[in-house]
Amino acid sequence: MKSLIILCVMLMLFGVGCGPKSSDERVHVRSGISGDSLGNNIITRPVRDAFESLAGAGIVVDEAVMNRNNNSGLLQIFIAGHNTSSKTKRFRYRVEWLDAEGLAIDTKTSVWLPMSAMGKSPFQIKSVAPRAEAVNFRMDTRKWE
Amino acid sequence: MKSRILQIIALASLVAGGCGGSKPTNIDIVNDDGKSVMALDYRDFDKAASEMVQSMLSSGALKKNDGGRYIVATGRIVNDTMQRIDTDQLMAKVEEELMNSGQVVMTSAVGSGTDKLIHETRELRDSEEFDQNSVAKRGTLLAPELSISGKIFQRNLAYDSKNQQVEYYFQLKLSDATSGLRYWQKESLIGKRGSNKSVAW
Repeated sequence: MKSLIILCVMLMLFGVGCGPKSSDERVHVRSGISGDSLGNNIITRPVRDAFESLAGAGIVVDEAVMNRNNNSGLLQIFIAGHNTSSKTKRFRYRVEWLDAEGLAIDTKTSVWLPMSAMGKSPFQIKSVAPRAEAVNFRMDTRKWE
Repeated sequence: MKSRILQIIALASLVAGGCGGSKPTNIDIVNDDGKSVMALDYRDFDKAASEMVQSMLSSGALKKNDGGRYIVATGRIVNDTMQRIDTDQLMAKVEEELMNSGQVVMTSAVGSGTDKLIHETRELRDSEEFDQNSVAKRGTLLAPELSISGKIFQRNLAYDSKNQQVEYYFQLKLSDATSGLRYWQKESLIGKRGSNKSVAW
Protein backbone atom coordinates (compact mmCIF):
# COMPACT_ATOMS: atom_id res chain seq x y z
CA MET A 1 0.00 0.00 0.00
CA LYS A 2 2.79 2.37 1.00
CA SER A 3 4.66 1.69 -2.21
CA LEU A 4 1.46 2.32 -4.21
CA ILE A 5 1.09 5.78 -2.68
CA ILE A 6 4.76 6.54 -3.35
CA LEU A 7 4.26 5.39 -6.95
CA CYS A 8 1.21 7.63 -7.34
CA VAL A 9 3.06 10.65 -5.95
CA MET A 10 6.03 9.95 -8.23
CA LEU A 11 3.74 9.64 -11.24
CA MET A 12 1.99 12.83 -10.27
CA LEU A 13 5.20 14.78 -9.78
CA PHE A 14 6.94 13.57 -12.88
CA GLY A 15 4.04 12.69 -15.08
CA VAL A 16 2.06 15.95 -14.97
CA GLY A 17 3.80 17.24 -18.04
CA CYS A 18 3.18 14.01 -19.91
CA GLY A 19 -0.60 14.35 -20.27
CA PRO A 20 -2.21 14.61 -23.67
CA LYS A 21 -1.98 18.25 -24.68
CA SER A 22 -3.99 20.10 -27.25
CA SER A 23 -2.08 20.83 -30.45
CA ASP A 24 -2.99 24.48 -29.93
CA GLU A 25 -2.14 25.97 -26.51
CA ARG A 26 -5.12 28.33 -26.74
CA VAL A 27 -7.47 25.34 -26.61
CA HIS A 28 -7.69 23.73 -23.18
CA VAL A 29 -9.00 20.16 -23.15
CA ARG A 30 -9.83 19.32 -19.53
CA SER A 31 -9.33 16.06 -17.77
CA GLY A 32 -12.49 14.04 -18.11
CA ILE A 33 -12.86 15.30 -21.66
CA SER A 34 -9.44 14.24 -22.85
CA GLY A 35 -8.19 10.71 -22.32
CA ASP A 36 -6.38 9.76 -19.11
CA SER A 37 -2.62 9.94 -18.99
CA LEU A 38 0.17 8.56 -16.85
CA GLY A 39 0.09 11.51 -14.49
CA ASN A 40 -3.64 12.21 -14.66
CA ASN A 41 -5.88 9.21 -14.19
CA ILE A 42 -8.42 7.73 -11.81
CA ILE A 43 -5.66 6.55 -9.41
CA THR A 44 -3.45 9.63 -9.36
CA ARG A 45 -6.21 12.29 -9.38
CA PRO A 46 -7.25 11.89 -5.70
CA VAL A 47 -3.60 11.90 -4.63
CA ARG A 48 -2.94 14.98 -6.75
CA ASP A 49 -5.97 16.76 -5.23
CA ALA A 50 -4.79 15.93 -1.70
CA PHE A 51 -1.28 17.09 -2.56
CA GLU A 52 -2.64 20.35 -3.98
CA SER A 53 -4.69 20.99 -0.85
CA LEU A 54 -1.59 20.39 1.25
CA ALA A 55 0.54 22.66 -0.92
CA GLY A 56 -2.15 25.37 -0.87
CA ALA A 57 -2.77 25.56 -4.60
CA GLY A 58 -4.98 28.45 -5.65
CA ILE A 59 -5.07 31.76 -7.47
CA VAL A 60 -1.84 33.28 -8.77
CA VAL A 61 -1.63 36.71 -10.43
CA ASP A 62 0.82 36.68 -13.35
CA GLU A 63 0.61 40.20 -14.67
CA ALA A 64 -1.12 43.55 -14.14
CA VAL A 65 -1.19 45.84 -17.16
CA MET A 66 -2.37 49.44 -16.88
CA ASN A 67 -3.04 51.66 -19.89
CA ARG A 68 -5.47 54.22 -21.30
CA ASN A 69 -8.68 53.01 -22.90
CA ASN A 70 -8.61 54.01 -26.58
CA ASN A 71 -12.34 54.76 -26.70
CA SER A 72 -12.78 56.79 -23.53
CA GLY A 73 -9.27 57.92 -22.61
CA LEU A 74 -9.83 56.56 -19.09
CA LEU A 75 -7.30 54.42 -17.25
CA GLN A 76 -7.94 50.68 -17.42
CA ILE A 77 -6.29 47.60 -15.98
CA PHE A 78 -6.00 44.01 -17.08
CA ILE A 79 -5.09 41.51 -14.39
CA ALA A 80 -4.01 38.17 -15.79
CA GLY A 81 -3.62 35.16 -13.58
CA HIS A 82 -4.24 31.46 -13.31
CA ASN A 83 -5.67 28.92 -10.96
CA THR A 84 -3.02 26.38 -9.90
CA SER A 85 -5.62 24.18 -8.22
CA SER A 86 -7.60 21.50 -10.05
CA LYS A 87 -10.80 22.80 -8.54
CA THR A 88 -12.75 25.89 -9.53
CA LYS A 89 -11.80 28.83 -7.33
CA ARG A 90 -14.44 31.45 -6.65
CA PHE A 91 -13.45 34.72 -5.09
CA ARG A 92 -14.35 38.38 -4.94
CA TYR A 93 -12.19 41.30 -5.95
CA ARG A 94 -12.38 45.04 -5.55
CA VAL A 95 -10.46 47.60 -7.54
CA GLU A 96 -9.84 51.00 -5.96
CA TRP A 97 -8.61 53.86 -8.10
CA LEU A 98 -6.01 56.27 -6.77
CA ASP A 99 -5.50 59.89 -7.72
CA ALA A 100 -2.16 61.66 -8.16
CA GLU A 101 -1.84 62.09 -4.39
CA GLY A 102 -2.35 58.38 -3.82
CA LEU A 103 -5.80 58.86 -2.32
CA ALA A 104 -8.61 56.45 -3.15
CA ILE A 105 -11.23 58.00 -5.42
CA ASP A 106 -14.72 57.78 -3.96
CA THR A 107 -16.72 55.85 -6.53
CA LYS A 108 -19.68 53.50 -6.58
CA THR A 109 -17.84 51.23 -9.01
CA SER A 110 -15.36 50.15 -6.31
CA VAL A 111 -17.44 47.28 -4.96
CA TRP A 112 -16.72 43.61 -4.36
CA LEU A 113 -17.30 41.81 -7.65
CA PRO A 114 -17.44 38.05 -8.15
CA MET A 115 -14.86 36.12 -10.19
CA SER A 116 -14.55 32.45 -10.94
CA ALA A 117 -11.52 30.61 -12.34
CA MET A 118 -11.82 26.99 -13.37
CA GLY A 119 -9.21 24.50 -12.27
CA LYS A 120 -5.80 24.76 -13.98
CA SER A 121 -7.09 27.63 -16.08
CA PRO A 122 -6.13 31.22 -16.73
CA PHE A 123 -8.46 34.11 -15.85
CA GLN A 124 -8.54 37.79 -16.60
CA ILE A 125 -9.99 40.78 -14.81
CA LYS A 126 -10.65 44.03 -16.60
CA SER A 127 -11.58 47.24 -14.88
CA VAL A 128 -12.00 50.80 -16.12
CA ALA A 129 -11.45 53.86 -13.96
CA PRO A 130 -14.61 55.94 -13.63
CA ARG A 131 -12.70 59.25 -13.49
CA ALA A 132 -10.00 60.89 -15.54
CA GLU A 133 -8.01 61.77 -12.40
CA ALA A 134 -7.20 58.12 -11.68
CA VAL A 135 -3.47 57.48 -12.15
CA ASN A 136 -3.01 54.22 -10.26
CA PHE A 137 -4.98 51.43 -8.66
CA ARG A 138 -4.94 48.83 -5.94
CA MET A 139 -6.85 45.57 -5.94
CA ASP A 140 -7.94 43.42 -3.06
CA THR A 141 -9.43 39.94 -2.97
CA ARG A 142 -11.46 37.95 -0.51
CA LYS A 143 -13.32 34.67 -0.25
CA TRP A 144 -16.63 34.21 -1.99
CA GLU A 145 -18.86 33.74 1.06
CA MET B 1 -27.79 17.08 42.47
CA LYS B 2 -25.35 17.82 39.65
CA SER B 3 -27.79 16.72 36.96
CA ARG B 4 -30.51 18.83 38.58
CA ILE B 5 -28.30 21.94 38.34
CA LEU B 6 -27.50 21.15 34.71
CA GLN B 7 -31.22 20.82 33.95
CA ILE B 8 -31.93 24.21 35.50
CA ILE B 9 -29.09 25.86 33.55
CA ALA B 10 -30.30 24.32 30.28
CA LEU B 11 -33.88 25.42 30.94
CA ALA B 12 -32.80 28.94 31.90
CA SER B 13 -30.69 29.32 28.75
CA LEU B 14 -33.60 28.16 26.56
CA VAL B 15 -36.00 30.61 28.16
CA ALA B 16 -33.50 33.47 28.04
CA GLY B 17 -32.64 32.70 24.40
CA GLY B 18 -36.26 32.92 23.38
CA CYS B 19 -36.78 36.26 25.08
CA GLY B 20 -33.97 38.30 23.57
CA GLY B 21 -33.93 37.81 19.80
CA SER B 22 -30.94 39.02 17.82
CA LYS B 23 -29.72 42.50 18.56
CA PRO B 24 -29.99 44.95 15.65
CA THR B 25 -26.62 45.71 14.09
CA ASN B 26 -25.49 48.07 11.38
CA ILE B 27 -24.39 46.41 8.14
CA ASP B 28 -20.79 46.97 7.09
CA ILE B 29 -21.73 48.01 3.57
CA VAL B 30 -18.08 48.26 2.45
CA ASN B 31 -17.09 44.71 3.42
CA ASP B 32 -20.36 42.89 3.98
CA ASP B 33 -19.83 39.24 4.95
CA GLY B 34 -23.56 38.62 5.30
CA LYS B 35 -25.23 35.73 3.56
CA SER B 36 -26.91 36.20 0.21
CA VAL B 37 -30.67 36.47 0.09
CA MET B 38 -33.02 35.25 -2.62
CA ALA B 39 -34.44 38.71 -3.24
CA LEU B 40 -32.36 41.55 -4.68
CA ASP B 41 -30.32 43.34 -2.04
CA TYR B 42 -28.07 46.39 -2.21
CA ARG B 43 -25.03 44.28 -3.16
CA ASP B 44 -26.82 43.10 -6.29
CA PHE B 45 -27.62 46.67 -7.29
CA ASP B 46 -24.01 47.70 -6.57
CA LYS B 47 -22.71 44.91 -8.80
CA ALA B 48 -25.13 45.65 -11.64
CA ALA B 49 -24.49 49.41 -11.48
CA SER B 50 -20.70 48.93 -11.39
CA GLU B 51 -20.75 46.63 -14.42
CA MET B 52 -23.07 48.95 -16.35
CA VAL B 53 -21.02 52.09 -15.66
CA GLN B 54 -17.70 50.43 -16.50
CA SER B 55 -19.08 49.00 -19.72
CA MET B 56 -20.67 52.29 -20.78
CA LEU B 57 -17.54 54.34 -20.05
CA SER B 58 -15.13 51.92 -21.72
CA SER B 59 -17.29 51.70 -24.86
CA GLY B 60 -16.48 55.33 -25.67
CA ALA B 61 -20.17 56.01 -26.42
CA LEU B 62 -20.10 58.92 -23.98
CA LYS B 63 -16.92 60.50 -25.32
CA LYS B 64 -17.84 63.57 -27.34
CA ASN B 65 -15.58 64.36 -30.27
CA ASP B 66 -15.36 68.09 -29.47
CA GLY B 67 -14.39 67.35 -25.86
CA GLY B 68 -17.72 68.61 -24.47
CA ARG B 69 -20.26 66.73 -22.42
CA TYR B 70 -23.37 64.97 -23.65
CA ILE B 71 -26.73 65.93 -22.19
CA VAL B 72 -28.31 62.69 -21.03
CA ALA B 73 -31.87 62.00 -19.86
CA THR B 74 -33.03 58.92 -18.02
CA GLY B 75 -36.04 57.39 -19.73
CA ARG B 76 -38.26 54.61 -18.48
CA ILE B 77 -36.70 51.82 -16.44
CA VAL B 78 -39.29 49.07 -16.18
CA ASN B 79 -39.47 46.90 -13.08
CA ASP B 80 -40.75 43.54 -14.31
CA THR B 81 -39.78 41.61 -11.20
CA MET B 82 -42.06 40.29 -8.46
CA GLN B 83 -40.45 42.72 -6.05
CA ARG B 84 -41.41 46.24 -5.30
CA ILE B 85 -38.28 47.94 -6.57
CA ASP B 86 -37.66 51.61 -6.99
CA THR B 87 -35.57 51.55 -10.15
CA ASP B 88 -33.74 54.62 -8.86
CA GLN B 89 -31.87 52.14 -6.67
CA LEU B 90 -29.99 51.23 -9.85
CA MET B 91 -30.20 54.47 -11.80
CA ALA B 92 -29.15 56.83 -9.01
CA LYS B 93 -25.81 55.01 -8.83
CA VAL B 94 -25.42 54.90 -12.61
CA GLU B 95 -26.30 58.58 -13.05
CA GLU B 96 -24.00 59.65 -10.21
CA GLU B 97 -21.04 57.81 -11.68
CA LEU B 98 -21.70 59.02 -15.23
CA MET B 99 -21.83 62.63 -14.07
CA ASN B 100 -18.72 62.22 -11.93
CA SER B 101 -16.88 60.81 -14.96
CA GLY B 102 -17.01 64.31 -16.45
CA GLN B 103 -18.29 62.97 -19.77
CA VAL B 104 -21.99 63.70 -19.39
CA VAL B 105 -24.40 66.04 -17.71
CA MET B 106 -27.83 64.70 -16.74
CA THR B 107 -30.97 66.71 -17.43
CA SER B 108 -33.82 67.14 -14.96
CA ALA B 109 -36.03 68.82 -17.58
CA VAL B 110 -37.41 65.65 -19.14
CA GLY B 111 -37.45 61.93 -18.50
CA SER B 112 -37.97 59.92 -15.35
CA GLY B 113 -35.69 62.21 -13.38
CA THR B 114 -37.81 65.27 -14.14
CA ASP B 115 -37.79 68.02 -11.56
CA LYS B 116 -41.35 69.44 -11.58
CA LEU B 117 -40.15 72.75 -10.23
CA ILE B 118 -38.31 73.46 -13.49
CA HIS B 119 -41.67 73.58 -15.25
CA GLU B 120 -43.56 75.18 -12.38
CA THR B 121 -41.15 78.12 -12.24
CA ARG B 122 -41.90 78.77 -15.92
CA GLU B 123 -45.56 79.23 -15.05
CA LEU B 124 -44.53 82.35 -13.15
CA ARG B 125 -43.97 84.28 -16.38
CA ASP B 126 -47.23 86.19 -16.12
CA SER B 127 -47.17 86.69 -12.37
CA GLU B 128 -46.76 90.24 -11.17
CA GLU B 129 -45.49 88.91 -7.85
CA PHE B 130 -42.19 87.84 -9.38
CA ASP B 131 -39.41 89.88 -10.88
CA GLN B 132 -39.66 88.73 -14.49
CA ASN B 133 -35.91 89.14 -14.98
CA SER B 134 -35.44 86.29 -12.51
CA VAL B 135 -37.89 83.99 -14.30
CA ALA B 136 -36.47 81.59 -16.87
CA LYS B 137 -36.96 82.84 -20.41
CA ARG B 138 -38.51 80.84 -23.21
CA GLY B 139 -36.15 78.57 -25.13
CA THR B 140 -33.63 78.19 -22.33
CA LEU B 141 -34.04 74.48 -21.62
CA LEU B 142 -31.62 72.16 -23.39
CA ALA B 143 -32.93 68.97 -24.95
CA PRO B 144 -31.15 65.69 -24.19
CA GLU B 145 -28.81 64.28 -26.79
CA LEU B 146 -28.77 60.77 -25.34
CA SER B 147 -31.30 58.80 -23.38
CA ILE B 148 -30.94 55.79 -21.10
CA SER B 149 -33.76 53.29 -20.80
CA GLY B 150 -33.95 49.77 -19.49
CA LYS B 151 -35.63 46.96 -17.70
CA ILE B 152 -35.15 44.72 -14.69
CA PHE B 153 -36.90 41.38 -14.93
CA GLN B 154 -37.02 38.13 -13.03
CA ARG B 155 -37.41 34.44 -13.89
CA ASN B 156 -38.23 31.81 -11.27
CA LEU B 157 -37.35 28.20 -12.08
CA ALA B 158 -37.70 24.96 -10.17
CA TYR B 159 -34.15 23.68 -9.63
CA ASP B 160 -35.15 20.46 -7.88
CA SER B 161 -37.88 19.37 -5.51
CA LYS B 162 -36.51 21.46 -2.64
CA ASN B 163 -34.73 24.34 -4.33
CA GLN B 164 -35.54 27.10 -6.73
CA GLN B 165 -33.43 29.19 -9.07
CA VAL B 166 -34.13 32.87 -9.46
CA GLU B 167 -32.58 34.85 -12.30
CA TYR B 168 -32.55 38.63 -12.32
CA TYR B 169 -31.74 40.41 -15.55
CA PHE B 170 -30.66 44.06 -15.57
CA GLN B 171 -30.78 45.59 -19.04
CA LEU B 172 -29.82 49.13 -20.02
CA LYS B 173 -29.69 50.85 -23.42
CA LEU B 174 -28.16 54.16 -24.50
CA SER B 175 -29.77 55.79 -27.53
CA ASP B 176 -29.20 58.92 -29.55
CA ALA B 177 -32.25 61.18 -29.05
CA THR B 178 -31.93 62.74 -32.53
CA SER B 179 -31.35 59.73 -34.73
CA GLY B 180 -32.81 57.05 -32.50
CA LEU B 181 -29.69 54.96 -33.00
CA ARG B 182 -28.59 52.79 -30.11
CA TYR B 183 -24.95 53.34 -29.18
CA TRP B 184 -24.60 50.97 -26.29
CA GLN B 185 -26.47 48.29 -24.39
CA LYS B 186 -25.68 45.74 -21.73
CA GLU B 187 -27.30 42.98 -19.77
CA SER B 188 -26.10 42.03 -16.31
CA LEU B 189 -27.34 38.75 -14.85
CA ILE B 190 -27.59 37.87 -11.18
CA GLY B 191 -28.56 34.28 -10.43
CA LYS B 192 -29.51 32.80 -7.06
CA ARG B 193 -30.33 29.29 -5.90
CA GLY B 194 -31.97 28.52 -2.62
CA SER B 195 -34.71 26.79 -0.73
CA ASN B 196 -38.26 26.87 -2.02
CA LYS B 197 -39.14 28.22 1.41
CA SER B 198 -37.25 31.43 0.65
CA VAL B 199 -39.50 33.97 -1.00
CA ALA B 200 -38.00 35.93 -3.87
CA TRP B 201 -40.46 38.81 -3.76
